[in-house]
Amino acid sequence: MRPLTFSRLFLRCGVLLLVLFVVVVIALKLGAVQVSLYGLGRDLIRVLLGQTRAISTDYGMIVVDIRLPRILLGIVVGASLSVAGASFQALLRNPLADPYVLGVSSGAAVGAILALIVESHLALSPELAGLITPFGAFIGAAATIAAVYFLGRRDGQIDSGTLLLGGIITASFLSAVIMFLMSTLAGGNLRGASYWLMGDLSTPQPKSLLYLLGIGFVIAAGAIYTTASDLNLLLAGEKEAMHLGVDVPRVRIVVYLAASVLTGLAVSVSGAIGYVGLLVPHVMRLIFGSDHRMLIPASALGGAIALVIADTLARTVVAPSELPVGAMTAMAGAPLFIYLLRRRLA
Amino acid sequence: MSSPHRTTMPPGEQPRSNPDVRLTVEQASYVYSPNPSQAPLFTLEALSFQAKPGEIVAILGPNASGKSTLLKLISGALEPLSGRVFLNGYATHALPPKTRAQRIALVQQESRLLFPSRAWEFVLQGRHAYGRTLRFETEHDITIAKNALAQVGAEHLSDRWMDQISGGEKQRVILARALAQQPLLLLLDEPTLHLDIGAQVDLLESLRRLAAENRYTVVVVTHELNLAGEYADQVVLLQKGKCLRVGSPATVFQRELLEQVFQAPLSVEMTPAGRPRVTLFEKT
Amino acid sequence: MLRSFRKSLPKALTIAFACVAFSATALRARAQTSVPGVPPAVETKEIVDETGRTLRVPVSIERIVSLAPSLTETIYALGLQDRLVGDTDYCDYPPDALKKAKVGGPVNPNFEKIAALRPDLVLVTKSINRLDTVRALDTLGIPSYATDPHTVDEIISSTEKLATVLGAPDTGKSLGEDMVRRLAVLQTKLKDVQPSRVLFIVWMEPLISIGKDTFIADALHKAGAISIVDSAKDWPQTNLEEVVRLQPEYLVFAASHSESAARDFDVLASRPGWRILDAVHNRRFAVISEAVNRPAPRIVSAIEELARQLHPEAFSDAPPAPARDTAPSSTPTPPPQKSASPKNVAETFSADQECPCAR
Repeated sequence: MRPLTFSRLFLRCGVLLLVLFVVVVIALKLGAVQVSLYGLGRDLIRVLLGQTRAISTDYGMIVVDIRLPRILLGIVVGASLSVAGASFQALLRNPLADPYVLGVSSGAAVGAILALIVESHLALSPELAGLITPFGAFIGAAATIAAVYFLGRRDGQIDSGTLLLGGIITASFLSAVIMFLMSTLAGGNLRGASYWLMGDLSTPQPKSLLYLLGIGFVIAAGAIYTTASDLNLLLAGEKEAMHLGVDVPRVRIVVYLAASVLTGLAVSVSGAIGYVGLLVPHVMRLIFGSDHRMLIPASALGGAIALVIADTLARTVVAPSELPVGAMTAMAGAPLFIYLLRRRLA
Repeated sequence: MSSPHRTTMPPGEQPRSNPDVRLTVEQASYVYSPNPSQAPLFTLEALSFQAKPGEIVAILGPNASGKSTLLKLISGALEPLSGRVFLNGYATHALPPKTRAQRIALVQQESRLLFPSRAWEFVLQGRHAYGRTLRFETEHDITIAKNALAQVGAEHLSDRWMDQISGGEKQRVILARALAQQPLLLLLDEPTLHLDIGAQVDLLESLRRLAAENRYTVVVVTHELNLAGEYADQVVLLQKGKCLRVGSPATVFQRELLEQVFQAPLSVEMTPAGRPRVTLFEKT
Repeated sequence: MLRSFRKSLPKALTIAFACVAFSATALRARAQTSVPGVPPAVETKEIVDETGRTLRVPVSIERIVSLAPSLTETIYALGLQDRLVGDTDYCDYPPDALKKAKVGGPVNPNFEKIAALRPDLVLVTKSINRLDTVRALDTLGIPSYATDPHTVDEIISSTEKLATVLGAPDTGKSLGEDMVRRLAVLQTKLKDVQPSRVLFIVWMEPLISIGKDTFIADALHKAGAISIVDSAKDWPQTNLEEVVRLQPEYLVFAASHSESAARDFDVLASRPGWRILDAVHNRRFAVISEAVNRPAPRIVSAIEELARQLHPEAFSDAPPAPARDTAPSSTPTPPPQKSASPKNVAETFSADQECPCAR
């Protein structure tokens, strides 16, 4: 009998953090432009020491202004999607649940496309213009979260089965709306929408957005983590969980809102990157078991590692061109999923 | 052994923690009515009984007699439409989830697990009610879980996966989890459904022993006449939502009454130990 | 319930605060390295691009990256190709453009490569490049200039404006005047000619044509043709029924090789239902170079080509004045065109004419 202890949790997370660090260093080194490892190390130390002006402008800009933010974005988006995926799988008691199953990404897409349409009629300063698509996407996501919440209620509480159905129907409806909007959009904006729908980390984002994403992740993932023990019991069934002392309605609301917020934030900035939220929790479950006190942080770190690797491959395999990162996750994800399915653990 | 029970409380009297009586069901009723404008689907009419520590109560009746509904009222999952259900002076429905889980443990027939877990993990879930929000299990929790498994004779199953053990073994582990909650009230919903006769007897013997050793109040929902007759200290007989009789097995197991409830010809004998035994005849 | 929430809240807040503090210091430090493409000592000027955005660029722009093939062509036409340090994978005209450093495609350029080239200015056009790309360049502090021509006249003025921004207003003016002159000559020739009704085919499955507000539609107009598709969208999708109802006189393709165009036409003709069209039945189609797809000076040649195919009767046999698609000194001027009849596609691309597909 070896239940999870804090020291074991800490150790395992430490190992994952180490793996993440190594992956980040490799990702900083690789790219369309050659960067030496020595120069890289020297410049990173300078950043940490605050001596940023001493960095040579050539690749200071490339590594520190382009690559590092992209990697950080990949970390936060990967972590957000994986934690959201693990949470929805527990909340809906469904191993096939992923962050998009309740329609949040479709709602964000509609919001983003509407924002693109609106923006062409407004003359905005560059800082505001850069924020309008993610903002519109987040509004769309929030509206969808609210709508699905009201659809998924029974007797005044969230019911998992009804929630799943409500979410799937909403996602389908919104997909149809997206197709309609795309066919009536003017050319230039349409191109942007297609890329966004595929999932894309390649566009440098304003710093304020990265901040927001990071803070949002910490708060939402933290909220979910407080329900980690409850989620373990929820897997056995809601009636049983209630009789074992879980405040089921409260846990449902907290997890639903927090996981949807995580998905909405991630999707607002990078589009709908697939497979990460579905598979990383399963792989972590394979390695560490289904105890959510371990699974949630493991999924966060595992998602960060997976997405940084996928994104690095996406931007180096056919450099200077790029493959969409969603394609990389799908290509790696589909065989992995089949393998897990055959081991009957998915 | 049967003491006179009271069906009503004098008006105005407050419930007191009477160490002699632990569970009081007082004129509790319930109605299932999904659509207010239509007739209700099912009505459990007001009934009352009491149970003491160390006592085994059997809720007996054919299908659709309201046994599960009554159990839900006792467990606090449902709020009675009228009347009250209280455990040591506290209404079961009004207890906060964690406190309720420390006092009432429910053993259901099957446990559907989404992702498989080991037996010891499963039993440790019973300790959830005793911790803060973010906690890790303490040595104390582990000891209690081990003891719980020992009490049901399932220590050897501790490291096995829940989806790889037999139905009877699973039932024992589920019971161990309920014991790990260290409850005052132990509720079981048709626990013998999937068990063979030997396992059924084993279970009831364990319940009797546990009730005596740990002073649990045990309430078992069943339609097994002879098990109820042999092991229960009190029987609550239900038919179609009505409570027909409450009392010791000897007083409740009257031939005409049982024939009316179960719609089958039978005969009742008394064993030397004072327990009734029911024999079913072929319908003529 | 409230109690456990309150217990976990301080923990969550502490973690949140720690992370915010850490990231604030790290990001703020990093913000200081975001040097715009302009070192502080250089003089700058403010310009406004064709979408109304204001940008700050060095007075003397020495390093240019072009993110659209049409803009690359324009740079060469203005003779400023020495300042072009990078272009896209699709920039193939003139052939010299293939030798420039590549930064990826117009829709998804590689920002690392662009940054590595340290451009003073990046050129984009609204019809091909994405808004996200422009915003990303803003975030990186690299100025980008957007063109957005919707008519042939706007292509000309856009070229002149770009020349002024790049510090070569005279070259721009003379290039513009040449284009205006050639178009005027063409208008004179086509003065009494009834415009042909044509279907310009961008893609066959699904059937996509061009909208009335595009420069391609205007180019057709200048060549004595009218697009039968009347739509406000840039790339409207239409169907055979609609085309049959409108019965165009000619089908127009833009192709890099005449053989592939003839093949495309045969494929189209063999499709069910297309024989109903008079144009298909009588093999009335025109093929022009792909220059018509690019809002660059070379589009004037494409317009002339199309006019000759649609209205051969308006052209005498005297060869026209040499066309100036590129700056006079860099590449040889194309030899006189033979007048081609619409039915004989193979003759349109004679061996001595400079084929736009440089090999």
